[in-house]
Amino acid sequence: MIMIIEVVKIIVLPLIALIIGIFLMGLARMITARIHWRYGPPITQPLIDMVKFFDQRGISHGFIFDFGIILSLAGSIVLVLFIPFCKIAPLSNSGGLLVILYLMLITPLGIALSSGASGNPNASIGISRKFMLALGYEVPFILIILTIMKSYNSLSLIDIVNVQQAGTWSIISSLPLFLTGVAYFLILPAILGVRPFDMTTAPQEISSGPKVEYSGKYLALLSIEHALTLYIGLTLFVNLFLGGSANFILFFIKILIVFIIGLFINAVFPRFRIEQALKYLWGIPTLLALAGLILTMII
Amino acid sequence: MDRNKISKWLKGPAKMGHKYSLSAIYFCTGCGIIEVPPVITARWDAERFGVIPVASPRQANLFLITGYVSLKTLKAIIRTYEQMPDPKYVVGFGSCPINGGMYWDSYNTIKHLDKYIPVDGWIAGCMPRPEAIFIGVTHLWTLIDKDMAKGYVKYREKYESYRKNQEQILGKLEWKPLYPIRRRK
Amino acid sequence: MTLQLILLIGFCGAIITYFAGKILPVLREIFAVAISLLLVGMIVYAYGRYSQEIAQFGFLNFKIVFTLNRLSWLFAIIISSLSALSIIFSLSYMKGKERQDFFYMMMLFVSTSMLGIVFSGTFLQLFIFWEIMSWSTFLLISYSKGKAVKAGLKYITMSIIGSMAMLVAVISLYLKFGTLEISVISQNIDIASLRYLSCIFGLLFLGFGVKAAVVPLHTWLPDAHSEAPSPFSAILSGILIKMGIYGFILMMYMVVGIKIFMTLGVGWMKFHYVFAWLGVISILIPSFIAILQNDAKRLLAWSSVGQIGYIIVGISMGTGLGFLGGTFHIFSHAVFKGLLFLTIASVEYRTRTRDLDQLGGLIKKMPITFLGGLIGVMGLIGIPLTNGFISKWLIYKSLFESNRMFLLLFSLIGTWAAILYGYKILHNVFLGQLPEKYRNMKREPVFMQIPIIILSLTVILSGIFPGIILKLINNIAFSFGLESLNVNMWGVVSETGTLNIRNIFFGILAAIALVSIIFYSAKRSWKVSQDDNYAAGAFVPVEKYNYTVEFYAPLYKMIRKYLKDVIDIFYCWIAGLVDALCNGIRKIYTGDIGTYVGYILFFLAFLIIIYLRG
Repeated sequence: MIMIIEVVKIIVLPLIALIIGIFLMGLARMITARIHWRYGPPITQPLIDMVKFFDQRGISHGFIFDFGIILSLAGSIVLVLFIPFCKIAPLSNSGGLLVILYLMLITPLGIALSSGASGNPNASIGISRKFMLALGYEVPFILIILTIMKSYNSLSLIDIVNVQQAGTWSIISSLPLFLTGVAYFLILPAILGVRPFDMTTAPQEISSGPKVEYSGKYLALLSIEHALTLYIGLTLFVNLFLGGSANFILFFIKILIVFIIGLFINAVFPRFRIEQALKYLWGIPTLLALAGLILTMII
Repeated sequence: MDRNKISKWLKGPAKMGHKYSLSAIYFCTGCGIIEVPPVITARWDAERFGVIPVASPRQANLFLITGYVSLKTLKAIIRTYEQMPDPKYVVGFGSCPINGGMYWDSYNTIKHLDKYIPVDGWIAGCMPRPEAIFIGVTHLWTLIDKDMAKGYVKYREKYESYRKNQEQILGKLEWKPLYPIRRRK
Repeated sequence: MTLQLILLIGFCGAIITYFAGKILPVLREIFAVAISLLLVGMIVYAYGRYSQEIAQFGFLNFKIVFTLNRLSWLFAIIISSLSALSIIFSLSYMKGKERQDFFYMMMLFVSTSMLGIVFSGTFLQLFIFWEIMSWSTFLLISYSKGKAVKAGLKYITMSIIGSMAMLVAVISLYLKFGTLEISVISQNIDIASLRYLSCIFGLLFLGFGVKAAVVPLHTWLPDAHSEAPSPFSAILSGILIKMGIYGFILMMYMVVGIKIFMTLGVGWMKFHYVFAWLGVISILIPSFIAILQNDAKRLLAWSSVGQIGYIIVGISMGTGLGFLGGTFHIFSHAVFKGLLFLTIASVEYRTRTRDLDQLGGLIKKMPITFLGGLIGVMGLIGIPLTNGFISKWLIYKSLFESNRMFLLLFSLIGTWAAILYGYKILHNVFLGQLPEKYRNMKREPVFMQIPIIILSLTVILSGIFPGIILKLINNIAFSFGLESLNVNMWGVVSETGTLNIRNIFFGILAAIALVSIIFYSAKRSWKVSQDDNYAAGAFVPVEKYNYTVEFYAPLYKMIRKYLKDVIDIFYCWIAGLVDALCNGIRKIYTGDIGTYVGYILFFLAFLIIIYLRG
């Protein structure tokens, strides 16, 4: 019986993540439009796009072009199972935060393989930017994860959530954690790959970068993967800093608030160039996170 | 969403998807470039119709050809059209692609675009206002609904004659035929 | 008897191979492969028969002892199997090259001498085999003349300095303990003072550190790895540099014992701190230098320095988990780096170049090599389900438990640098557009496919079932008096964090299956050629539609000026200084008889003065 419940959780969790992700994508397009003084598309627009993409007949550049995109989406789906959603995380006890750090690699690597195999220089430039950006945001991100691990002295995300549930949210529990929380919020758009950090998929410069040769079902899988990435980045923030929640509604509201605050930044900023992004990411967020880690080590 | 729409969604979700999600790639030569940006930006906001510009023909299903078509751009237009995934819709925008417009006697522009690629709809005018694009889009919706926007099928069926027309004006083409050509004896 | 037999077969086989080649080339190849496989077979046979053999013959009145314990068995199996695969690979790679007899002889020589090192029970043997290894390696590195000789000279100069330091340490140990037997010394280690042991460690650090290429002693490695014949580069990077690590483990865990080792050091500067920080520097800076390289083998060479850093960090923690991680990484690095060197070798064999700016699109021509490269890079990065992930996870966990957050931070950043250069090598060689000149290239020969397939499978299987090797290493750790961990087939179970590959494996498998079902049930896609590509409406320009040169250009601009190999420049400066000094001294030989007569007269006068004074 317990087995069946576990299996059901494993099946349902990616679905919930997908629904939340697609909802957030639609919401993003709508709110951005309102900020721009436009009417904007209906909230179901990402879903309509996805239906269309699945019906189109795409092109393929060979086996690895297909395999890479499958691998990247599979990586995202597995990652969803590792991050607690309302304290449900079927696989979170099989390696903790260190495994999450490494599983986060599969998605970009899959896309990199796939779009590299397309043989389009625009895709290659996009991928090289993506990896540079990843190197940029991983430095503060690792610092943040280490600070959390150190201050809760645990590798397990579910333990961290439980401790926060018993006490206060970690972002207001102590000064170092507050600093790292701010740092995480500052790099969140880079992790999600949205403006001002969308130089990876800049349509005007490099013809939307890695996805230049994608069409049809490839784009559909890519937008599913984007939805899951949104979900993962936000839930990780909510679990690490805002205490997660056992209650579905509360959890969702937390995600929503973080996302909408992020959107306000996203909607009004132009795009960074990659070296500006690196300078930014290795500047204030890294310093804040470093200060957090050092303070945690001292205290 | 009225009941009619819901039943349409249930009957043919794919068709509705193509209808309400038009990823446009626009080929701006000449004065068409002036009219398209207002359409996609905040003033007229094409996104509320589900029309969104994309960067690569692989992702697009709506091809806007705005302005005159010279021989050199015709090559690029054919190439772009062939790279778009099925189903795909082409809309000629302005009088130049329809019949040559003010360039009707130019030695270097083509007069009838639909000799070279199939065109599903025309928006006449010199230049048409952005609102005309929206009218065009709603007309395209009707055509898709009635299964009349079948330019891509026509292209496949009559590929030989299209290819012949293209080769006649452009000389030998660098790329291989998209569909196999049955040579007549 | 087995161990002596193994070494005897190895050395004699090497010489027989040489003479067989003089008779018939095919005979030589059969001999070389047969002997290397025989060595593997004998070592597999020796599993579990841990013993100590005292040889019948002596050497200058010293006892000759061969030992086999779990640690040396682990090393021996890695050495013998990787060199066997590499010799099989050479069958195709060396075809048509000159001096093949010599090459095969030296390959067997190197691998047998490494077996000798791990089997030796006394420090004297260790030193002798060490020297055999160094010199035969030198001969192989400078195999292809020209620049290779220079690289070889750099290697042998640093090696000699290292081994001289080692010799001093060995003599000193003999004077102190009256014996060179490792087991006897380790039993009587208490009679030595901590200060003495620190000195010995300092000397041995030079000796082992040069081979292991720890950061201040790494400068020979990039040159040597890139200039050596490619199948031998696999051995160099896969196992030869691990010999230094073997020396460290031998000293730290076996001879001195980890409890004493953790207290060694000068003042507050404990050796294990210094060690761990050197390891981290080895990870961080070389990994970033590797991003800048354009020569595929040079890139991998720098990455070897980086990966050695992980091993050193792991074993210097002095905990069971750290030892487990470090030793597992010895295994995994040997496998995936050997694999990567072999893939690059097979690319080089077909294309005659390894310049990353000129290749591209080879995935269509050599799919098996690509898969090998992909799995190798995934292991290098540490993607879950490869063995690199297991070892890195264990190392990180041990760092976390020992509360070394900054070490952990820098080693994690090193991993992200690994992604950058790992993808660069994959992309620039295999992905992108295939250049026109390689359109008619043939596939890789079958003797190149076999080692690549075997090594790829090893990377994956030992990543999914890490328990097989973890159990072995756990027993080694237990025999060294470290705390024993709860190891099972799928990983490590512990209170503070469990590694469970089973969940990850089935999770990823199920996810891939699910996505594949969605993917393949949707409309089938068109297969298009690489020429049918988006180029803003234009036809794809041949030969020009590729992005490989300066792959991470903005990053290069930012980091290039900080990443000069300062240590190499410093060593070269010292070498230049010594060179100038010797040149100056040489000036006294003028070639004029009058000057020499003058010298003799001066000398006689000097003697007379001394005589008169006395």
